[in-house]
Amino acid sequence: MAELQKDPMTRGDFLGFGILGTIVGALLTIPPAAFVLGPVIDVNVRGESDVPDDWYRVGPIGEIPAKEPKVYVVEFPVNQVYSEEQVIEEGVETPGATIDNAVWTSWREEIGENGEAIHRIPSFVESGVQPPLTQEQIDEVTANLNVLSSSCAHLGCPVRWIVKEDGGEFLCPCHGGIYDINGGYVGGPPPRGMYSFTFEVREDANIYVKHEFDIGGDKGPQQPYVI
Amino acid sequence: MGAISKARSQAADAGKFVADWLEHRAGIVTMMEHFLYEPVPKRGAWIYTLGSATLFLITLQFLTGILLLFYYVPSTDHAWNSIYYIMNEAYFGTLIRGIHYWSANFLLAVIGLHMAQVFFSGGYKAPRELNWVVGVVLLLLVVIIAFTGYALRWDQDGVWATVVGMKIGSYSPFVGAYTIQFLMGGDTIGPATVSRFFAIHVWLLPAALAPFIGIHLYLLRRHGVFGDEMEYRERLAKLQERQRLEEYEQYEDDGEPYVGRRDRADRD
Amino acid sequence: MYAPATGKQKPVEQEVITEENVFERPDETIAFFPKQVLYDLFVSTLLLLACCALSYVSPAPLTEPADTATVTYVPRPEWFFFFYEQMLMFFPGYALISFGAVVVPTVFVVLLFAVPWLDRGPRASSTRRPFATVIGVLVVVVVLLNMLMAVSRIINFPGQ
Repeated sequence: MAELQKDPMTRGDFLGFGILGTIVGALLTIPPAAFVLGPVIDVNVRGESDVPDDWYRVGPIGEIPAKEPKVYVVEFPVNQVYSEEQVIEEGVETPGATIDNAVWTSWREEIGENGEAIHRIPSFVESGVQPPLTQEQIDEVTANLNVLSSSCAHLGCPVRWIVKEDGGEFLCPCHGGIYDINGGYVGGPPPRGMYSFTFEVREDANIYVKHEFDIGGDKGPQQPYVI
Repeated sequence: MGAISKARSQAADAGKFVADWLEHRAGIVTMMEHFLYEPVPKRGAWIYTLGSATLFLITLQFLTGILLLFYYVPSTDHAWNSIYYIMNEAYFGTLIRGIHYWSANFLLAVIGLHMAQVFFSGGYKAPRELNWVVGVVLLLLVVIIAFTGYALRWDQDGVWATVVGMKIGSYSPFVGAYTIQFLMGGDTIGPATVSRFFAIHVWLLPAALAPFIGIHLYLLRRHGVFGDEMEYRERLAKLQERQRLEEYEQYEDDGEPYVGRRDRADRD
Repeated sequence: MYAPATGKQKPVEQEVITEENVFERPDETIAFFPKQVLYDLFVSTLLLLACCALSYVSPAPLTEPADTATVTYVPRPEWFFFFYEQMLMFFPGYALISFGAVVVPTVFVVLLFAVPWLDRGPRASSTRRPFATVIGVLVVVVVLLNMLMAVSRIINFPGQ
């Protein structure tokens, strides 16, 4: 191996290293970082979501049974990469992607004075819904309807309805989280009850949801993580 | 001279010429001798195959992974279909993907065994600390590669494991939401998620893995295989014998400060 | 270029064995080539054969195409995440989930990195450093027990 030659570093050399290093370093770190962190910036700085802030139809209220929940599937469009809105607007043939959510809907259940379960299904729904609904009917339905995300509040597994002798419960198959028919926490490792979608009932007797959770309180809606 | 022996000596000459030429230009013969004739501990030779088995399995991963890329399509619409094609239509598709899948499983198991072996034989002790650290980095990289590979199938297993994994990540203090938004490429799982997991699984982490494997092997060769304490039984016995003798002599000297055997021999 | 660590160039005969250099060369050695290479190749061949055989006996799984709106599917992790997933069951509620899912594993990884500096004694044999050995065995036992618990939970669950 050749002998080492150690020349001293002059002030100019040092300055050169500093300036050139800064230029190359900045060009090779800042744009790439912004490039890969784009979605994080969009969501947190510009407050954008991949799912457009619209109402999406879930299904008719008339099909929800009195004492059991019913699951509907909602296809939320997702604006990401090749299914992005702008790409589609350009008129390019592109497969629009969706994120499908299972939505559990049920009538509110309350425990009466004698411990019996009361299902708050509005009487006009029980006797057959006749659209269009009046404003009072819409208010009554809205007050007594549960519109729950199937994503377990623990680790996001899909919860299922288990029929039991005295009604039933929502069970998460991953770690055994249990919720009642209103989505309230009953047992297991979840930190809270099931998440409710922000929803509204319209005159056509259908439920419409946004892709966001109504977590109550003054925090406003929360964007669902993951799905 | 017969024709056969003539051809043989000509071939030998040609071989020698090529070896000399390469040695002069690239030092390959010296390098190969370094690589091949390093003395390694003898007694636990079979146990030390765990490390090389890990290397072999990672090589299999790289090889079959590159092959799978000839058919795999990283998009939500076609990922599943392309894997279905690999499994049912492509020649030896079942084998290539099977090797990728099974060697990944073996890899995780063998890494665990390799680590346990090094831990319980004390192979991480000075001067080999850095190699243990590099090994832990390799372990983490392999685990993350295994996790990101699962999602690429875009089947029920893969997607739901990813959903749960992201949900777990979202519980990270302070950075949870940002981390999973970065990984998913947005605030839901979707087309961007496949692209990102593909980039991470196929390029980013393997590219990071390769140099760390190089460092791991370099450090291994620099300090030699430690093996286990059983490889040093005789040397340890000699050391203890010497230490015992020294203590004994110090005791005999009865109070005179101990200055070491050799020094005293000079003085006498 | 390759450079051996210091202190190994001295011939065996001139070496005085001290606490420092006792582990510098083993009692008995073999050349890496051909014996060790042969052993390595043997194990690698076995693994490759096992991979090939398993590819056909139990092909790499491909379940139904992704459906995020299912309510009948049971997500299960891969076997090497079993112990981690099982561990999460023991950390319910908001405060504990983030503790069990992220903080505990992070601390564990940091400790794993620090192992060479946590156990700096001169002796390498596991019988000569009982504390480290007991900790190591405990970690292995906890991981294996968690895996077993996860397996039993998965077997006992009513299924899809």
